[in-house]
Order: sequence, then C-alpha cells, then structure tokens
Amino acid sequence: MSKFIKTITIILSITAATSVNANSLDTLERERAKALALVLNKSISIGDRKKQLENSKLKLLDLERITINSKDINKNPSYQTIKAFENFDFTFLVHSSLEKEKSFSISWLEKLGLTTENLMNTRVIRK
Amino acid sequence: MKNLNLKIFLIIITGSLYSTTSLANNNLGEWKPQIVEKMYILPPKHLNKVLNNDFNKSILAVNLQNTDNKIKNKIEKISELKSMLEGASKEESFEIKHQIIINKRDYIKDMNNLLLMKKQKLDTKKIFFKKIQRNMKRNSFKSKASSKFINNKKSAMKRSESLDFKILENTSYNLSKRSKYFEQYQINKDAVMKLKLAIEKHPMNNQNILAKDPANKMEAIRNYVHNLETEMAVLAMKEKMINYMAKIVALDAMSLVENVAFAADGQNEIIQTNFNDPVNVISVFTN
Repeated sequence: MSKFIKTITIILSITAATSVNANSLDTLERERAKALALVLNKSISIGDRKKQLENSKLKLLDLERITINSKDINKNPSYQTIKAFENFDFTFLVHSSLEKEKSFSISWLEKLGLTTENLMNTRVIRK
Repeated sequence: MKNLNLKIFLIIITGSLYSTTSLANNNLGEWKPQIVEKMYILPPKHLNKVLNNDFNKSILAVNLQNTDNKIKNKIEKISELKSMLEGASKEESFEIKHQIIINKRDYIKDMNNLLLMKKQKLDTKKIFFKKIQRNMKRNSFKSKASSKFINNKKSAMKRSESLDFKILENTSYNLSKRSKYFEQYQINKDAVMKLKLAIEKHPMNNQNILAKDPANKMEAIRNYVHNLETEMAVLAMKEKMINYMAKIVALDAMSLVENVAFAADGQNEIIQTNFNDPVNVISVFTN
C-alpha cells in the first residue's frame, strides 16, 4: 500500500513539475487562440468584438514581447517553438499587424491569403 | 657496537625495499576545484588565475608547502653533516654517515611525496581544462544545431525592437492603455542599453579578445592542456631521478655496512675460518 502511495506521489509531482514548466509561448498560444476565436465569432456585436479585441491586443502585445525576449526558450527549443519563430507573422500577430499598420485580424486573414481582391476574384463553379 | 649494527641492519632493510612505488602515499591531501560553472566563460588567463587561487586554499597546497619546507631543511641538514665529516674520528664518521643516509632517505621520501602532490595538482588542472573543452565542444555542437532557430529569434527581436517607437507613438496604445509590462520593459531596456554602451567602451573589453572569440578560447585552453602535459612529462623524469637517488642511498648503506664490518674485524682481529671449504679443514685431519 505504501509503495502505491509512493508511486502516486512521484507521478503527481512529475505532473505538477511539467505543468509549472509551461513556457511563455504556451501562454501566448492560448491567448492567440482566444483572440482568433473572437475574430471569427459571429454571435457577438461589432462593438463588443472591437472592445474585447482591444483588450486582447494589449495582452497579446505583452505576451509576444515576453516570448520574443525570453532566454529560457533558447535552451533546447521544442519543435513547436522552432516553428513559432519560423512563422513570425502567424505567431506574433500584433507585432506583425503593427509592422503592416493594419488591424491584426486583417493582417492575419491576408497572411492566410483571404484578401478582398482574392475573394472578389473567386468564382462559384460546379465540379 | 651492537646498537650500530642494528641501525645498519635497519638501513639495509629500508634501503633495499626502497622504491618509489613503495613510497606512494595516498594521504597527500586533496584538491577539488570549487569553481562554479558560470566562471567557465571567463577568459582562460583569468580562469587559470581563479584556478590557482582556488588551489592555494586547498589542503593539497598546504601539504605541498609543508613538504617543500621539510625538503629544504633536509638539504641543509645533509650539507651540515657533510661538513662535520672532516676531522671526525672513524667511529664518529660512521655515525655521521649513518645520519647522512637517514636524512637522504627522508629527503627522497619527501621529494617523492612532493612530486606526487605536484602531479595530483597538474592532473586536477588538466581534468578541469578538459571538462571546459568538452563543454565548449558540446555547446558549439548545440549552437550549430540550433543556429537556424537562433537566427529566427534574433530577427524576431530586431523586428520587435524596431516597433518600440511605433507602439509608443501609436494612438491606440496611449499611456492610459499601455500595460505595466511595457512601461517596465521600456525602463529596463534603456538601462540595458546604457550598460551595453558602458561595456563596449570599457578598456578591458577591447583587450579581452579571447573571451569574444570561442575559437581563440579553445586554442588558449588547448595550450594550457599542452603546457600541463609538458610539466607532467618533466615530473615523470624527476620521478626517475628519485628512483636512481634511492638506489644510490641503498648502495651507500650497503657500503657503510661493509666498512663497519671490516672495521669490526680489524678491531677484534679474529680470523674466521670457513669450515665449509675442505681446503681449510685439511689441517684438522692432518694434525
């Protein structure tokens, strides 16, 4: 019985340690997902979206800056971290939008190839 | 006389069994460098200084100093005894020679210990520098593997820094909306910039070329290891010398025993006959 308790304690402590190790990129990823969900959310009003996106932008800006300047991620960067820095415009939405001087939702959609021009050029065809 | 013979017997025993291997002493003290890993980034010259300072605080260094003093005393005593040989009577000269042999034996013992301690010091230093070499190789391998990521990160940092002005000026990020982090970020960034400038202007920064270039640092450490190996080879030669010295002392002891024995024979004037030889016992049979 005592062995079982010991094993459980070790497993729990390892789990707790891994959860503590969550880096700034994970937090940024979570906030980014929230912001994008807000952009795509049809059930809220334009005013609400604008207000909530403004708050989200400020949070994202901080998190992006923290991630970019973080030295911890330099040591043994994970595949996710390497890819995140390879795709600056997708990872650091607010920074990218400030560079382009556009709102971050437009900047993101444009990066995906969903520009007004592209959409206007699309045709409905039957296959 | 009996006493003298006993002493001589003891000298022969110790002298004949004398070899440097039998002198190996494990209680010479030890030295474990207490240098934190962060010090490894120091330029090799400073690192060597730190290492030497660390050694001076060790038990091994204290023992080395003590043995060094002991050796000096022994040499002084031997030359003093040698000067006493002139004008000494036969009996006295035997005693003085005996004392010289004892002191020479102690000198060899101490010298051997000293060489072992020096070897231990060089070994520890070599292991330390080898460890740094390994670390540097591992780090350079790692940095090669992650160089693409590092480049991406550097470019991300540049891009974000170029936006600092924009963020501050942007109407949507006015003072009331600027986060606590960003305010602190600006303050700290300015401070870091000032420090960076101070580092660049520092005269020692220009002299410290080795610390800037890892290839040069590696070369300098390699030179240190090479020097240590040379010193160790010289020590090995000295050990050989000590071996020869030990042999000479053993031979001196044997010669002294012979001299004492002959002198005793002359004093007693007893001609001992070897009865194991039939030639010597002919008279027994003929008379």
